Amino acid sequence: MSATRRSFLKSGLALGGIAATSQLSAPFVRTALAGQSSNSVIFASGEPLTGNWDPTSHTILGQINFEGYVFGRLTKTPMRPENPSEIQYELATGHKVISENILEWTLRQGITFHNGKPFKAEDVKATFEYASQPGKSAWYPGPVDVEIVDDYTVRLNTENHGYPATAYILLASFLPIMSAEDIADGAISQTPNGTGPFKFVEQRGDETIMAAFDDFHEGRPIIDEFRFAYMGDANTRVLALLGGEADIIERLEPEQHDTLAERDGVRVKRTVSTENKYLHFRCNKAPFDDVRLRKAVCHAIDRDLITEILGAAGHASSSYVSPVKLGGSDIANYPTYDPEESQRLLAEAGYPRGNGLPELEYITSTGFYPKTKEYGELITALLQEQGFNVKLTVLETAAWLERIYQPESGEAPGHLVDVGWATGSPEPDLVLRPMWHSSQSLITGFEDAEVDAALDAQQAEGDPAARLKLIEEGVMPKLADKVPSLSLFTSVLIHGMQSNLEGAYFYPNGPIDLSKASYT
Amino acid sequence: MAFVLTFLLRRLSQGIVIVLLVGFVIFSLLRIVPGDPVRIMVGPMATEEQVEQIAEELGLRDPLPVQFGRYLSDLARGDLGNSFIKATSGASVAGGRDDGSAARAQVLDLIVAAIPFSALLAGLGVLLALIFSIPLGIAAGLYPNGWIGRATFAISSVFVSLPNIWLGILLILIISVQLGWLPAIGYKGVAYAVLPAIVLAVELSAVIVRALASSVAATMQENFVQAGIVRGLTMRHMITHHVLRNSAIPMLNLFGAQLGGLLLGSLFVVEYIFNYPGLGLLTVNAVFQRDFPVIQGVAILTTAVLVLINILVDLISAGIDRRLQY
Amino acid sequence: MSGLSSQFWHSVNGRMLRAAWARPQFKVALVFLIALIALAVLLPMLSSVSATTISVRDRFAPPVLWEGGTASHLFGTDQLGRDLLLRSLIGLRNALVIGVVSVFGMFVLGALIGIISGYRGGIVDTVLMRITDAQMSIPVIILAITILGVSRPTPFSVILVLILAGWPTYARVIRSVTLTESRKEFVRAAKIIGAGPLRIMFRHIAPNILPPVAFIAVLDVARMMIFEAIFGFIGIGIQPPVPTFGNILADGTKYLINAWWITVVPGLFLFAALISLNLIGSALESARNDVLGGRNQ
Repeated sequence: MSATRRSFLKSGLALGGIAATSQLSAPFVRTALAGQSSNSVIFASGEPLTGNWDPTSHTILGQINFEGYVFGRLTKTPMRPENPSEIQYELATGHKVISENILEWTLRQGITFHNGKPFKAEDVKATFEYASQPGKSAWYPGPVDVEIVDDYTVRLNTENHGYPATAYILLASFLPIMSAEDIADGAISQTPNGTGPFKFVEQRGDETIMAAFDDFHEGRPIIDEFRFAYMGDANTRVLALLGGEADIIERLEPEQHDTLAERDGVRVKRTVSTENKYLHFRCNKAPFDDVRLRKAVCHAIDRDLITEILGAAGHASSSYVSPVKLGGSDIANYPTYDPEESQRLLAEAGYPRGNGLPELEYITSTGFYPKTKEYGELITALLQEQGFNVKLTVLETAAWLERIYQPESGEAPGHLVDVGWATGSPEPDLVLRPMWHSSQSLITGFEDAEVDAALDAQQAEGDPAARLKLIEEGVMPKLADKVPSLSLFTSVLIHGMQSNLEGAYFYPNGPIDLSKASYT
Repeated sequence: MAFVLTFLLRRLSQGIVIVLLVGFVIFSLLRIVPGDPVRIMVGPMATEEQVEQIAEELGLRDPLPVQFGRYLSDLARGDLGNSFIKATSGASVAGGRDDGSAARAQVLDLIVAAIPFSALLAGLGVLLALIFSIPLGIAAGLYPNGWIGRATFAISSVFVSLPNIWLGILLILIISVQLGWLPAIGYKGVAYAVLPAIVLAVELSAVIVRALASSVAATMQENFVQAGIVRGLTMRHMITHHVLRNSAIPMLNLFGAQLGGLLLGSLFVVEYIFNYPGLGLLTVNAVFQRDFPVIQGVAILTTAVLVLINILVDLISAGIDRRLQY
Repeated sequence: MSGLSSQFWHSVNGRMLRAAWARPQFKVALVFLIALIALAVLLPMLSSVSATTISVRDRFAPPVLWEGGTASHLFGTDQLGRDLLLRSLIGLRNALVIGVVSVFGMFVLGALIGIISGYRGGIVDTVLMRITDAQMSIPVIILAITILGVSRPTPFSVILVLILAGWPTYARVIRSVTLTESRKEFVRAAKIIGAGPLRIMFRHIAPNILPPVAFIAVLDVARMMIFEAIFGFIGIGIQPPVPTFGNILADGTKYLINAWWITVVPGLFLFAALISLNLIGSALESARNDVLGGRNQ
């Protein structure tokens, strides 16, 4: 979620470009492709970096990807659909729930930061206390006090802050561990210094240069150099991959996926992401303060058609969170396409065939997510078929971004809003609370005591299995019944890469683990 | 030469008034429309206090005339302000919850960096247009009712009816996608400027050819030309020495008043179609990102350029035709 | 022929129209344009589907003559399975309406300013003409992109921007007509015997406005249609799902490889309309020169 440069002429032209590169001969050929050393990987990012390296200073997915190379975390969560809540220890070696409000981590020994400073408990304390400050970041549930037991043991304590410490079990995989010194003297925004497989070398225009970190605790990466290059246009990225100027590219359009899949020398990788795309209702203003109308809309939308339009970029799902998150399995009472039910609900709400409804504005974006405009037009047409008087507003990313959230005062614009929500952890609360807990309800303005109670109950549950049950049987059915939003599908990340590049792991929120990657 | 000076002074002062007026209109317009640029700069997660704090620091909460006054005094020192969005590194700082530790790029630098690209494209476009139009326009002017005159009329009718966006897409589709002869999107070398320049040239040619043809045809009807031919001067001599010179004045005026605007307008559109990194793309992106300082800078600069072109054209045409009054 | 129409046919306007009609290009282009408009009005009314009817399973159908094309979609379908012929025709209708309305608006504004300026003369004239000068030095496209880009574009705001961009030409031409006419003996005489300014404007000035303005207006309709397409293409024109040339073309560019017809077909319709308008316009221009003599306005 951030402003990207408008990229257009995407897929079609990328393919055009393919023709252009492969057939270009004399005099206009782009000369020498960037001298590609066999041990260097260039990643073409669809989003730029901000230039402020403090991981808590932004919400930009591109920069979160970057942090994946430089920083380490207490844990890793590979988020495979078959076992979403699997935890692998990285900087930690174990965790223990001491009580509802105290969570203990034991830390790995013998790890150093890129600047040579040894990693110890003080760094975890500084990082957690810094990142969880109120107003610092919306990702964390609230402030936390960290006690240092010894150099390699810490305890997160939330007793004074009114929420359970267990909330950090899954969140730990999302927070880059910074050096306590850097936080204290502010160096963190000037130079990225972590424990990750690659260390920052320099910023050269739109390229961020990194080198293998010799003392990486899992063993020095096979790749010597890694470059993070910003290429805002999807078409440019595809051309760069085909021309050898990039080795991995991200954010492909579905058409580009289909074409690249058939080509030699390159590979495509689909990864079901942590991001669901939602049709959010403005629940705190007429007419969608009436649950019957929200349901009528849900039953008017044929989600199969949407996934058909999305092709390789969409994964059908019927839940409020992605299947790679805890509790993301399909919900039994999730609304399905049922025009008759839609009509019945419309009539019941006092608007037979939609008569008497005001004009409804449906706000969506273009240039960032794949196919939003296409399926936006489809949803508009499906709703109009049932008699809803819907007007579609397609906005550039920047303009859309400033309209999606509930303002501090006054009414939010529009009645229906298309927004995706991607987070780098299997933790479902990263979605559930900001979206539908009345304390936040960032977009919907939804307030419901039952949903709040169900959300609080699962958060307070320390036992993962019991918690999963509370989410699947308590939270999700209630949401599906009150439909403050309709989750349309789960996004699929599409990466393209040189086919001789092996051993990369693609996380469902975008970052790529290249610490074991190499060319064959 | 005193009258030249007074002419220049008068026109320049008028020009400055125009530039200020445009500046003020754009400036006010950008501040009354809904949409808070600070919200875009800091990202959706920032609190309302942070937004207000940064807005205060940037002076965005001061009364409009105060803001404009400050802008003008900076402008007088050659400072067009800093982009809201773009960092010096070329990266985008939007969405970061950061007040400026990532240095935001100077608008002037952004514009200066974009100008060579636009200049290359515009120059190539005008060159192609002239190579195509001058021979055709003169021939059509000499023989307005012959086949060449009719063919020229037909060609210019087709050219003027080709929407630049469609022509651009067709060229990409045929030349780049199907035939693979030229690259189309972005800029990595001069080859990338060829297709967009062709689109510019087609648009310009449609106007130039017809204007040149009718100007030459009209001059041919003048008494002195007819007299010259009767006096036995060769046709070639008459054309090169008299007809072209006389046709040049309306052509120059055309270039100033009409083609300046036309060229600028199509440049913006064409750069956008081909994702060509010149002034046009900079501006369109700035509009979408609510990057007010960039929009203002470009608007003021292009207005100033248009005003200057018009003054220059008037001076030159007065130079060519000394009978013209200042 | 009644007295009035016979009078018309011998007036300057009538003679101009007859001179234009004498040119084959005028006749052909006019008939073609009328046929195109009739098609654009009638076909959407007769068709069982609408231009916004989505049928995901029919998407990317090529035109009928290509492999895989069907007779139910003569010109193929777009990325959402909508009929391209219908969409192009509705786009044409919308573009024509925008073009005609905005040119009419420019004419009215330009006439108002031109007549006042030419009739009153003096300081009013100087100020108004300086304003038109200034307006002509403004990079209109930047103004338009700014206004439409930062506000929410509607048909109304698109038309307004076009009017703002185009009125000075009309103001200048009409001012010079006003100047010429009000210097004539009988107008002076009318003034002396106490005819009001409104009466003079309507009786003596208005009838002479058409010849110098008609061709400009027709050519401008074509230009405004191009502008409308450009706005739509950039995404600052009339918003989807209402089909306009600009937004159809913008969508189509994403599918150039697998469905070239999405961009080619609507462009052909736009081109057809523009070339008819341009031929009509230039025939009117020649006719004006025949009637008034010379090229000077």
